[in-house]
Amino acid sequence: MMATASLHPLADDYLDRLEHAARRLPRGERRELVEEIRAHLYEATHPDMSDAEILSVLDRLGEPEDIVEAERSHELSGIDRRGIHEWSAIFLVLFGGFVFGVGWIAGAILLWSSRAWNTRDKLIGTLVVPGGLAAGLWGALAVAVVGAGRVCTTAVPRGAERCSGGASTLGLIGVIALLAVLVLGPFCTAMYLARRAR
Amino acid sequence: MVAIGESVISQLRRGVLEFCVLALVRDEERYGFEIVRALSEASGLVTTEGTLYPLLGRLRKEGVVETTWRESPSGPPRRYYRLTAAGAAKLAAFAAEWVRFRDSVDALLETGVPR
Repeated sequence: MMATASLHPLADDYLDRLEHAARRLPRGERRELVEEIRAHLYEATHPDMSDAEILSVLDRLGEPEDIVEAERSHELSGIDRRGIHEWSAIFLVLFGGFVFGVGWIAGAILLWSSRAWNTRDKLIGTLVVPGGLAAGLWGALAVAVVGAGRVCTTAVPRGAERCSGGASTLGLIGVIALLAVLVLGPFCTAMYLARRAR
Repeated sequence: MVAIGESVISQLRRGVLEFCVLALVRDEERYGFEIVRALSEASGLVTTEGTLYPLLGRLRKEGVVETTWRESPSGPPRRYYRLTAAGAAKLAAFAAEWVRFRDSVDALLETGVPR
């Protein structure tokens, strides 16, 4: 076996360009595609070929971006990769936090071990919001308590109310936005993951 | 020469290419490079060889072909493709439909009236 034999430098450059173009693909697909093209280059070229001959082989192969685009279009039109593994991951990342947090950790493990998502999807799935909906709700509760921490006292003689502490209007808008992110974020992430796994 | 829309031809090509792959591995198993070169040497079927590899991947995942790795005398191991029963059924269905389609279009192109 001559798998260790080297390729012509132009063929190596081509593979580098392909790897770069393929970085948007899920890791399994990316590795498989690059290996297929590498095998093609081993079959179609040898290191002693002239630059012109190599360039003609590469020309027949097409632009790396077009190959990656073909892979992506097959992915989109092709098989729905949302099996039990993926649905469990989405469900647990969203709701698993309610089970003492361990459900969320199991979800994160399933998320990272699936081939249906790329690294960016997995980071979003893990970080928005870590702990999922349970953590989001706890966070929201904490924010609400701090934000709405207005202390009001009713002055005895004339029933006038005096309030101290609490947030200004601007602060209040910030608190509401934060609440929305903490509670809606996990739902949006779950929908995003479901869509990306197709 | 009048140029016809490139997209028409590329859509036709995209539609039939997978069946050309299935036909190539119907009677004997072939490895990826062999399939790609055979298709690329048939006139007008393939413009860029590299885009065939994603198609081969999809056919594998669909289960219409199955593959075996074998050592190569001159490089990394080769992945050999062969038609599965599901693939044979799909190819046979397409072949029957294709004959009707081709005959109808040919008749219209040649005589201007449907057959």
